[in-house]
Amino acid sequence: MNAYAELHCLSNFSFQRGASSAMELFQRAKACGYSALAITDECSLAGIVRAYEASLETKLDLIVGAEFKLDDGLRFVLLCESREGYAALCGLITQGRRASAKGTYHLTRASLANGLPGTLALWLPDAEPDASDGHWLGERFAGRVWLAIELHRGPDDAARLRQLERLAADLGMPAVAAGDVHMHVRGRRALQDTLTAIRHGLTVAQAGVVLFKNGERHLRAREVLAEIYPVHLLEETARIAERCRFTMDQLHYRYPAELVPEGHSATSWLRQLTEEGIQRRWPDGISPENRETIEKELTLIGELEYEHYFLTVEDIVCFARRQNIFCQGRGSAANSVVCYALGVTSVSPDEATLLTERFMSASRKDHKYNRPEPPDIDIDFEHERREEVIQYIYRKYGRERTALAATVISYRGRSAARDVGKALGLSPDQVSALSSVFAWRNGGSLRHHLQEAGLDFDSPLLQRVLILAEELRGFPRHLSQHVGGFVISDAPLSQLVPVENAAMPDRTIIQWDKDDLDRMNLLKVDCLALGMLTCVRKCFDLMKQHENVSHTLASIPLNDNETYKMIQKADTIGVFQIESRAQMSMLPRLRPKNFYDLVIQVAIVRPGPIQGDMVHPYLRRRRKEEDVTYPSEALREVLERTLGVPLFQEQVMRIAMVAAGYTGQQADELRRAMAAWKRHGGMEKHRDRLFNGMKENNYSEAFAAQIFEQIKGFGSYGFPESHAAGFAKIAYASAWLKCRHPAAFACALLNSQPMGFYSASQIVQDAQRHHVQVLPVDVRHSDWDCTLERDVRDSTLAIRLGFRQVRGFNEQAAQRISQARERQAFLDIVDLCTRASLDRRHQDLLADTSALRGLAGHRHRAKWAVTGVEPQLPLFGRTSPDEQTIVLPPPSVAENLHADYARTGLSLGPHPVRLLRARLRADRYKDSRELSHQSHQTRVRTAGLVTQRQQPQTASGITFITLEDEHGNINVIVRRQLAERQRRPYLEARLMGVEGHWENVDGVSHLVAHRLLDMSDLLGQLDARSRDFH
Amino acid sequence: MLWACVLLPHLALDGVLRRRPSSDEPLVLVTGSAQSRSILAANRPARAAGLRPGQRLAVAQALLSRFEAVEHDPATTERWHRLLAAWAYRYSAEVVLWPHAIVLEVSRSLGLFGPWPRFEALLRDDLSQLGFRHRIALAPTARAAYVLAGTHDGMAVMSPELLRGALSPIPVGKARLPDEAADNLAAMGLRTLGQLLHAPRDGLRRRFGEALIEHLDYLIGTAQEVLRYYRPPDRLELAMEWTHEIEQVEALVFPLRRLTGDLAACLAGRDGGVQRFMIRLVHRDGTSTDVSIGLLAPERDPTMLFEHTRSRMERTELPQPVIAMRLVAHELPPFVPAGRDLFDTRPANALPLGQLRERLRARLGDRAIQTLHATTDPRPEHAQSAARDDVVIGQPASLPRPTWLLDTPMPLRGLAPRIVAGPERLETGWWDGGDMRRDYYVVETAQGQRAWVFCAPGERGPWMLHGWFA
Repeated sequence: MNAYAELHCLSNFSFQRGASSAMELFQRAKACGYSALAITDECSLAGIVRAYEASLETKLDLIVGAEFKLDDGLRFVLLCESREGYAALCGLITQGRRASAKGTYHLTRASLANGLPGTLALWLPDAEPDASDGHWLGERFAGRVWLAIELHRGPDDAARLRQLERLAADLGMPAVAAGDVHMHVRGRRALQDTLTAIRHGLTVAQAGVVLFKNGERHLRAREVLAEIYPVHLLEETARIAERCRFTMDQLHYRYPAELVPEGHSATSWLRQLTEEGIQRRWPDGISPENRETIEKELTLIGELEYEHYFLTVEDIVCFARRQNIFCQGRGSAANSVVCYALGVTSVSPDEATLLTERFMSASRKDHKYNRPEPPDIDIDFEHERREEVIQYIYRKYGRERTALAATVISYRGRSAARDVGKALGLSPDQVSALSSVFAWRNGGSLRHHLQEAGLDFDSPLLQRVLILAEELRGFPRHLSQHVGGFVISDAPLSQLVPVENAAMPDRTIIQWDKDDLDRMNLLKVDCLALGMLTCVRKCFDLMKQHENVSHTLASIPLNDNETYKMIQKADTIGVFQIESRAQMSMLPRLRPKNFYDLVIQVAIVRPGPIQGDMVHPYLRRRRKEEDVTYPSEALREVLERTLGVPLFQEQVMRIAMVAAGYTGQQADELRRAMAAWKRHGGMEKHRDRLFNGMKENNYSEAFAAQIFEQIKGFGSYGFPESHAAGFAKIAYASAWLKCRHPAAFACALLNSQPMGFYSASQIVQDAQRHHVQVLPVDVRHSDWDCTLERDVRDSTLAIRLGFRQVRGFNEQAAQRISQARERQAFLDIVDLCTRASLDRRHQDLLADTSALRGLAGHRHRAKWAVTGVEPQLPLFGRTSPDEQTIVLPPPSVAENLHADYARTGLSLGPHPVRLLRARLRADRYKDSRELSHQSHQTRVRTAGLVTQRQQPQTASGITFITLEDEHGNINVIVRRQLAERQRRPYLEARLMGVEGHWENVDGVSHLVAHRLLDMSDLLGQLDARSRDFH
Repeated sequence: MLWACVLLPHLALDGVLRRRPSSDEPLVLVTGSAQSRSILAANRPARAAGLRPGQRLAVAQALLSRFEAVEHDPATTERWHRLLAAWAYRYSAEVVLWPHAIVLEVSRSLGLFGPWPRFEALLRDDLSQLGFRHRIALAPTARAAYVLAGTHDGMAVMSPELLRGALSPIPVGKARLPDEAADNLAAMGLRTLGQLLHAPRDGLRRRFGEALIEHLDYLIGTAQEVLRYYRPPDRLELAMEWTHEIEQVEALVFPLRRLTGDLAACLAGRDGGVQRFMIRLVHRDGTSTDVSIGLLAPERDPTMLFEHTRSRMERTELPQPVIAMRLVAHELPPFVPAGRDLFDTRPANALPLGQLRERLRARLGDRAIQTLHATTDPRPEHAQSAARDDVVIGQPASLPRPTWLLDTPMPLRGLAPRIVAGPERLETGWWDGGDMRRDYYVVETAQGQRAWVFCAPGERGPWMLHGWFA
């Protein structure tokens, strides 16, 4: 039978067109005995790395290409013959994509003027071909253009074939068979129709004209092709495939070289910067151990030729430091001693010696195999100032050579159900009901959930929707920008990978995501935004201003006992990473007492260790209730620092290598599979390999099963030790600040909102509970930000709330108030409104928040006064006409509370629950302070404002509700049966009463609910919005 | 003067419910764009389950798995409102329409229907029968009645001296004050109408403008409010003028569509129809050409009115160019249609289909009768339809399709036909359960006829005949 290579084939990276993944296409093409497969997504190479991987896996040659449609309708396919052609193709795609809005492209005939040397062209003629189009292409691609004949069992294929062959002969252009493939097998026909309808924004029933009439656009068996095409057309495909010699491994990427000054090599320059850093870090001289590590690291970096990468990171961090922008590196390479010397991280090797050797061993082992693990450095910047860093990178390397990595946004259960439902003609209300089923589903049968949502599981229509949605799940939907991964290259990036516009103006992204970059050995620097760094920097500024102490992240005293005591009590509202409810309930059990304990604390409350059931064994061993044992002597080295229990992603990979005989490369594959299995599956292979490998090395099946469970648990939440260490550093810093400088910390935290887990109200209450005085917003004292004021009597620091706490207040207006006040204190309301040019809205906001108390008295009088202010003409002075006096009743406590919550979401007055306390006490409701003295298993009744409803994915069907009263928080656990039985109070209550039994184990306490009560009526109109974290 | 206010707090919902058999199934009216659907009104079973106005539909769905959601239509609600005004017109010549309310002057009607308790009972009786929930209050000013109906159902303040006392305790939030005045007043501690009436006028005027002062005056009757009374239309006249002259009748078609559309809207507003009307085409010299239109039965469907009128107009010769067009309808059918329930919206004169088609053909010409249309459905069985698709995307590609498509394919008998073209493979239609997979061929039979036939994919027979080419 004739050889055949498919030269025109779309993968699902031609979004909403291709209905099969590259892997499916390659497997099918291989099974059909094709000699090569071209992937020619429309003006895109976004899927080419996946195609390359599929090609390696199936051992079937990949031809790199793309399909295009010019603005005048001319369609053709370009295939890469050589590296030069690949660069030209990337250039053309970049040109088309950059000239058009995100997700679209625009190309004209002028774009092909140079004929793109190194590419081959296939002309895709219309139903009524225009010979002049063919002629035009023939001139541009002389000797390397074909007329593609694509027959799909149309009304009269024989006539079409005759017509096109005659045309080819007339033009003197060879003809070739091609498939216009949109799916790997005919069975994807329904999905392909659905995608087409989605792309056109129609229902399938409406889309008749644009749907393909049959399922012929799949990879057809060669016997079938032989019936359709004459032999010479099929043979031509193989000849073209032969010519396409370009393969993806010919791409070589080089890091920018310009950071090395003249007279230096990259190696010597990195050495010099490191030595300078050593002087700074250890002015009294470096210890022999650290010196030795640095030497080892530098050698390794040299062997791997990663100097440029380290220099680039150093340069970015240096810039940030010059601009006083806080930053902190994390990741395996970031935790090296070299990075500590360079200032990339503040995690000193003296406080975490265990970490640094990891970078060495892991990387060196991997280096034996041809693909070393790329160095991994993420740099977190203050979230409010990251943009400055991004602009610096663009300026320094130029837009040609810098772009953000892409993130492939894929269909998830919910979005797939929504799009398919729409395309199959469900009504908007049915679609939203369906998508809410997918959004909220946590176990339980789908049939049951659908019925609850008023959808009939058994109806044929819904069955079709569900089947297609399942097929669509995991398909790429569009490209988006990565949160901060920059790719920087020595040559223009567009020779390496197409660049396109992102949704944000002035942002460009490359068409590859981070997995693609890994695979192609492109290095990226992650510049991420972290709110806590903003907070820490603001806190340092406040401390300098008000307490005259200067600190940096590195200068914070280590091992501060008071700080660890605070952490052990779970008194951590506002502390980075360990402030969530789950973290807080772990702290009294784990009782961190040094830095490495914090690293573990950060990593342990994650789906990985929880699902792998690693938490309890670790805690038992830590409390010496259980002996520390190791599955084998070989694993002792890997597991020693975590008492024999694997907690980190790196450990799991090392176990695979040590216990199951994985190579470095296989372990790396495992890491990627770990991140992707939830989306793509594909872990079965590793399951077998792990079990067999471990069996060979005499490990128990139970241990293998446990490790495998944990690997699955890591999923996309995998948390490596190297990242945990970076986070732990910031967690410690923020804990220290909270412990030692509570006023400055709370103030900085308020000024960095929105961030973290808690609302301004909760932060303020927490500060008050720590005896920090908080003062209300007042036009006589407040600025935009919250500020610190020193109390003249006892010289403690108090927080003055800023105008930023007032919902809807404008920053410029706040600045005008501050400036006017600096010139001269305000005489009265009219003076204030005139000099600060406040509009009516801001006048009202000030009156409603009682910020005018010093000028006009209570809230009612302030409101009367501001509404009487008329727009002033400068000539007529700044007074109001005399008015008849009016007697206004002062507002009640409850009214003030209501107004405070409505305008600022917090109140400095009594807590709302306190106002109800007498009544609650009469009904035997206990407050949170009384609860804390209850013994284990007591039956109690309590009530509080609902501040959070949280349903973690790891807790099957359990909801954690946080109630707040005047003394603190109460953690309530609601099981699924109760939630379903008492749906209304569960979902609706703002003030919730709970009856249940009190559990108190290891200093961790919560209330397991038996009955819920909606008591919101008592609150009247109180505006304490629950922060629902779902 | 004495004013009765009938407040209709559930007008929209009642308008929907009254057309259905009473039921305990939860039902809500839904409004808002596709992204932010929310509940406008909920019936009692729905409210008992926690559904309430203002709630997002998604939240409601989380609370209650099954309930009926009806799209709210403001135009319908408006129509019910006007119809109730017409009802009130029976009792008083001075009827005012305010949001969610109808206010009527009753002092002159008391002799006829009174005394007030009896009159009130009469009103309540009517409304209950019509299926509209209501609150009624009586006061010496229209506004006071409006406010009191909201706060004190059944209250009757018969004399002006008592009015101030009755209004004083009412919270400002319920006093129907202009704009956001109520919120601002509450924020100043001014909570009741009593406090407000005592506050210095200058200060209030400065802060809330003349509108608030007027409102207070109208409330207690220190100033006389000028009201716009409801007038039941008995004659309609609509006009359109141009700055240029129109010479062709064809050019009048578009303005005509607008005019007849407006006529239909007016008719719908009074829930009546029109039987005879006239189109007057005005010429430059003041003369005019009249075209009168007569219908067999009252009509109010815009398309119907337009088509009737157009077909009459097309037969009209224009002696001179036209500068204006008027539509005058004198003969509006009885305001309350004879016979059935006032609110019955069924067409008055239903005809059997055949009779209707013939009548339409006779009156409107052949073009008014629908012909078959090509659809965009790729399946031959669904390729034709009497009604156009609501969405038509692109033009179907020109495919070889037989002139005469059989409704049902039938086996092709006789000798094996000669294949002219094909196979054309059709695999489609899975979305409604009607998936088909066939290879179609154009063939020539032994008799020399061209036929469209199909068989299973990849096969060459047995053949099914699906159509003939001309």
